[in-house]
Amino acid sequence: MSLGDGSVDIPHGRLVYSRVVDDVGVALATAFERSLTGYAVLTPQSALLLDDAECVLTFEAGVPVLAYDVASDVGGTDALTAFSAGGPCRTELYDLPADALTVAHDTPELRVPPGAPADHLADDAALADRCRARAPDDRTDDPETDPLEAFLADEERIAAIQEEARADAERRAAEWGLDDHLDG
Amino acid sequence: MVEAFAVASGKGGTGKTTSTLALGMALAEEYDVTVVDADTGMANLLFHAGLADVDVTLHDVLSGSASTHEAAYDRFGMRVVPCGTSLAGFRDADPERLRSVVADLAADTDVLLLDSPAALGSKTAVLPVVLADRVVVVLNPTVPSLSDALKVQEYARSYGTETAGVLFNRVRDEDAVDRVGEQAERYFDGPTLAAVPESDAVRASRQAGEPLLAHAPDSPAAAAYRSAATSLDVRSGAAGAVADRFRSAVIPDPP
Repeated sequence: MSLGDGSVDIPHGRLVYSRVVDDVGVALATAFERSLTGYAVLTPQSALLLDDAECVLTFEAGVPVLAYDVASDVGGTDALTAFSAGGPCRTELYDLPADALTVAHDTPELRVPPGAPADHLADDAALADRCRARAPDDRTDDPETDPLEAFLADEERIAAIQEEARADAERRAAEWGLDDHLDG
Repeated sequence: MVEAFAVASGKGGTGKTTSTLALGMALAEEYDVTVVDADTGMANLLFHAGLADVDVTLHDVLSGSASTHEAAYDRFGMRVVPCGTSLAGFRDADPERLRSVVADLAADTDVLLLDSPAALGSKTAVLPVVLADRVVVVLNPTVPSLSDALKVQEYARSYGTETAGVLFNRVRDEDAVDRVGEQAERYFDGPTLAAVPESDAVRASRQAGEPLLAHAPDSPAAAAYRSAATSLDVRSGAAGAVADRFRSAVIPDPP
């Protein structure tokens, strides 16, 4: 499997887990509990029919190292904000020998801080803490990248969230008989 | 005067109840404050306010077996209306009565804080946001939490409820939130009220059954909440208008 412009190769691993889970948090927790060294391919259920709606994360001993969002072709923390993480997702976990990832993991633009996927894909602060605690002390990640800042800079995505929420609110107001309370 | 605030977040775990009581205590230094656990299905305010053993809760009022004032307790300088946690209490509660309970309370306080359900998926859950004058949005500095907060604001906007402010909670990196807070203000109608640091004091106060400002008043988190309360410009509204709004509101679905 190649990530990004094809410059990062990840060898095919051995499939050790494959199912649809309730949310990305379950996938991350499973990788953590299994101390997975290898990679995860996550596909949101809402996009199962699309070819490239996947997010690929690599792990060392259950701790995330790289992130790449296939649809938007972005890596690192940008991948975490690009991936549509809400709701159930198909999760495939692949096992690899640790040295198979050495070269791939030397790709700063795809690296994420150890707790960032749990924080920003799953909003699971406890799991994020456990990932940070388990990560090796000498691990270096780009401290300049903040997923929250990247998210807030994406005006188009925020406008889409707002538009969807507003349509949802109005539809449900009708359902609940709250139309009279709608503004304007 | 009275202004009703719904303290809301799109999802659980943001520290909404801790925030409601902390803001309540801080505001109580200047105003008459009433805090209501409007999360009748997943109540937990009683555990935070040392009221776990009380006999009468909002559930009893909603089932018609007690009056509003019997479920209102003077604690920590505020009036606190806890909700029970039993399934039977929830089953027997008639949500229709919530409107008149809140209307009664609104007639006799300066600031009404409604600890709202952490969801937007039912009429009962969304009603506090519909009825409040303004909403205080509590969020954690993560992408999913921010995304949920934007959704809450959009729901509130749909019902003409303004955003009084945004409270970042469980913050580990204050510098990052300073940067993000400014960006976030572009999307939220109200100011960033504070960045409350992640703190062991919060957990300890919950275990002690005391609001943070009573248990650890000198903690940085408590100071942040006091600063948030100062940034919240409470508007005087006509008590009668708020009471009328609750009375005239449509009846929530039965549980």
